[in-house]
Amino acid sequence: MRHGTFLLSFLLLFAGCTQAQEPDVQPATSFELCNKSATAETRQLWSLLCAQYGRNAISGVVANIDWNTREAENVYQWTGHYPAINVFDFINIQASKDVNPSGWLDYSDMTPVTEWHNAGGIVGCMWHWQVLANNGTNYTCTPGTEAGQTSFDASKVSDPSSAEYKQMVKDIDQVAGYLKKMQKLGIPVIWRPLHEAAGNSTEFKGGKAWFWWGAQGAEVYKTLWRFMYDRLVNYHKLNNLIWVWNSQMGDWDWYPGDDVVDVVGRDNYYALQYPLAKEFKTLQAQFPNKIITLAECGNGDEVDMSLWSDIWAEGSRWSWFMTWYDYAYNNGTSDEHQFAGEAWWKDAFNSGVVLDRDEVKGLLK
Amino acid sequence: MKGIRYILVFCLLSFSAAVFTPVKAVERTILVGPKTIGKAWKDNIVLEPRHFADAKAGDILTVYHDRAKGIAQGAFQNPTNWQGVAPEYAYFGIKGPFRMTLTDDILRIAREHGIAIGGHDYRILYVTLSDAADYQETIVWKGTPVQMKADWSASAEIPAQSLKNLREGDALRFHVSKVQAGASLKLMDFTWNAIDPTVDGAPVGGEAFTWYILDNTPLLKIQLAGGGMNTALRVGGTGYRLDKIGIVQFVGTVSGDISQAQRAPKEYVLQPGELFHGEKAFPNDWSGNLRITAAPFQKSTENDVLVISYRIDPAAKAAGVTPQLSLRDGRTWDEITGAAEPVLYTLDGNDVVYLFDATALDAVKTRGFILTGVGFMLTKIELISAQ
Repeated sequence: MRHGTFLLSFLLLFAGCTQAQEPDVQPATSFELCNKSATAETRQLWSLLCAQYGRNAISGVVANIDWNTREAENVYQWTGHYPAINVFDFINIQASKDVNPSGWLDYSDMTPVTEWHNAGGIVGCMWHWQVLANNGTNYTCTPGTEAGQTSFDASKVSDPSSAEYKQMVKDIDQVAGYLKKMQKLGIPVIWRPLHEAAGNSTEFKGGKAWFWWGAQGAEVYKTLWRFMYDRLVNYHKLNNLIWVWNSQMGDWDWYPGDDVVDVVGRDNYYALQYPLAKEFKTLQAQFPNKIITLAECGNGDEVDMSLWSDIWAEGSRWSWFMTWYDYAYNNGTSDEHQFAGEAWWKDAFNSGVVLDRDEVKGLLK
Repeated sequence: MKGIRYILVFCLLSFSAAVFTPVKAVERTILVGPKTIGKAWKDNIVLEPRHFADAKAGDILTVYHDRAKGIAQGAFQNPTNWQGVAPEYAYFGIKGPFRMTLTDDILRIAREHGIAIGGHDYRILYVTLSDAADYQETIVWKGTPVQMKADWSASAEIPAQSLKNLREGDALRFHVSKVQAGASLKLMDFTWNAIDPTVDGAPVGGEAFTWYILDNTPLLKIQLAGGGMNTALRVGGTGYRLDKIGIVQFVGTVSGDISQAQRAPKEYVLQPGELFHGEKAFPNDWSGNLRITAAPFQKSTENDVLVISYRIDPAAKAAGVTPQLSLRDGRTWDEITGAAEPVLYTLDGNDVVYLFDATALDAVKTRGFILTGVGFMLTKIELISAQ
C-alpha cells in the first residue's frame, strides 16, 4: 500500500500480463465403477464420462423442483439445444400418488424419465431427503429443534430397532422402487444422494451441516452412506447407478470411500472462474482416481456465475455441470432467471467445449 | 359589547367547522429515492428519527418501489443491530408496495434510531407515512377458519358476492393465525389455477397477508366465476390458518409536499473499472465497512492496482480520531496480505493506491475484500488494470 496517484503511471509503464496455464487433467480411461455388476448401459455411460473428461463438459440442468424437464425446455427455448443431463429430485416422495392418495405428483409414472432417455438424454437423480418436521405435519431436510425443523437422528441408522432406522429403510426402499423401474427400462442413472453433508462446518468456525444427514458428523454420515449403498446395490440389486459424492471442500474425512463413490462433485453458487479453478485442482489432487464434476452451480446471492467459456479458460475441467432451477421464472413471476439465463447458456454452447443432448446421443450410439 | 358578541359567534362557528368538517388524513412522503437495494442484503437506507417524532401507533409506513425481481425480499430493521423491528419484518417477500403498521415498540426504535429499510433485489422510489385512518378495511369473509395443511390440500372457497366491491387499486387482506415457519399462500381462481403469479406460493408471516390489486387481470378472473355464491377465489397454501378476509381501500389524500422529505444519496452508475462510486461514511467507531466481491478481480494480475478516494471527516479530526483504513479478506476478515495483525493505513488526504502481492491477489480473486476504517467518507474505489 502506498500513497499518491503519481505511482500509477510508473506502474502502468511496467505492466505485464499472465496467462492461464493449460490444466493437467489425467486421462480417465483407467477409472472404474465401484459396482462391478453395473449394467451394460451404465458401463456405456461411464465410458462416455471417462472419455470426455478433460476434453469437453457435459451440460446439465435440474428439474423444476422434482419430476419434470421444465428447465431443459428453458435451455432449448433460449439456445435451440437441449442440455445433455436432466436431474430429477426425489424431494417430494411423501406426496407421490403411489404412496399417498392425496398426493400431487407420481414418481411411479416414469413418463418424464423415459421421454428424456428416449430422446437421448442422460438421467440424473438426486434426493433432498425430507423427513417429518418437529411439528408433525411438515417435511424438511433442515436439522434443528424448531417446529419447522427436524430432530431426526441419522445415527439411528445403526439401531435397527429404532423408529428412525425403520423410516430410513422405508424411504430408501420407496426410492429404490423408482430406480428399479429405470433399471428395468435400461436407463442408467447418475445418482447423487446425501449431498452437501458437511454444510459449511469445514469453511469457518461455527459453521454447521444444513441437512439432517450431516448433522451428526462425519462418521455417522459415512455409515449412512454405506448403509444406503448396501441397501440399493446389494439388497435391491440396483446396478444402474453411478454414485456421486458431494464435497464441501476440506471435508475429506466425510468421504465415504473409493469403493462406494464413482464421482466427486462440488456445488458452488459463488461460481467465479478463479475460485472454481482452484477448487477443481484441489479436488483433483485429493481424489486423483475419480472424475470431478460441478454437481450444482448458478448465480449466487453475491455474484453472477462466470461464463462457461471463462471457467474453462481458467483451467477447470469439470466433467459436467448442472445449473439450478428458478421456480419464479418458471411460473412467470420473474423475467430474469435467477441462476443461469439465456446469455449464460448461449455462451456455454458457443464455447465449443460443452456437449448438448444430441451430441451425447451420438456418442452413446 | 355587540361587536364582541359578533366576534364570539364567529369564533364559535369557526370552532364548529373545525370540529365537524371531516379531517382528511394525509399520506406524506418522508423519503425520496431512488435507492437501489441490490443483491445479497448489502444495501439499506435508514429513515431518520425526525420523521417519527409525531407518529403514533397504528400509523402506516409504505415503501413504493420498482425493479423488484421475483426473489426480492424486503426488511424493516433496527439500525443498531440490523435485526427486524419485529419478527415478521425481518424478511418478507415483496411484490407491490409494502407496508408496516407502527406499534409502540417499533416507534420507540424509530424515534431513537430511525428505521432501516433493507432486503435485496429491488429499488425504493419513495417512502410515505400515513395515518391508519387512511386505510379502511371492510371484512367481507369470515367463514369457518381453514387450517392450511402441510400437503397444500386444504383451501377456503370465497364466494363472488364477498368480492363484489373489490376494485383495482384496493387490496385484499388475509387475516391469518397459527403461522408456521415456511408458511405460504396460494390464491387460485375458480378453475384452480393461480389467479396471479405473485400469489402462487407467497410467503406468509405475522397476522395478515395483503394482496394489492394492481391491475384488472385478477378482477376479470373473479368476475368470470359469475356472481352470488359461486366460488370466485380459492385461498390455499400451507402452514397457516385463514381466519377472515377484508377489502382495504385507501381513503386519505396524498400530499405533494416533499420539502421535509429525506433525500436518498445520489446514485452513480459505475463506470468501467469502478468498484464503488458514491458516498459512504466510515464513522469513528469502526462500524463502517464495505464488501467488494471477487467478481471484478477474476482476470486481475499483480500489475493491477486499487485506487481508493475519500474525504477526511473534519469531525473525526476534531474528536481526535486518526483517519485510517484497512483491507480485509472478504470472507474471513483476516488482513488481506495474510499478516497476523491487521495493517492500518493512516489517511493524509491523498488517494490510496494499493499494490497487490501474490497473497492479496489470490485473496481478492477468491473471496473479494472488505474495506473498513474510521474518520472518512469513501467516495470511489477503482481497479486499474495494467493490461
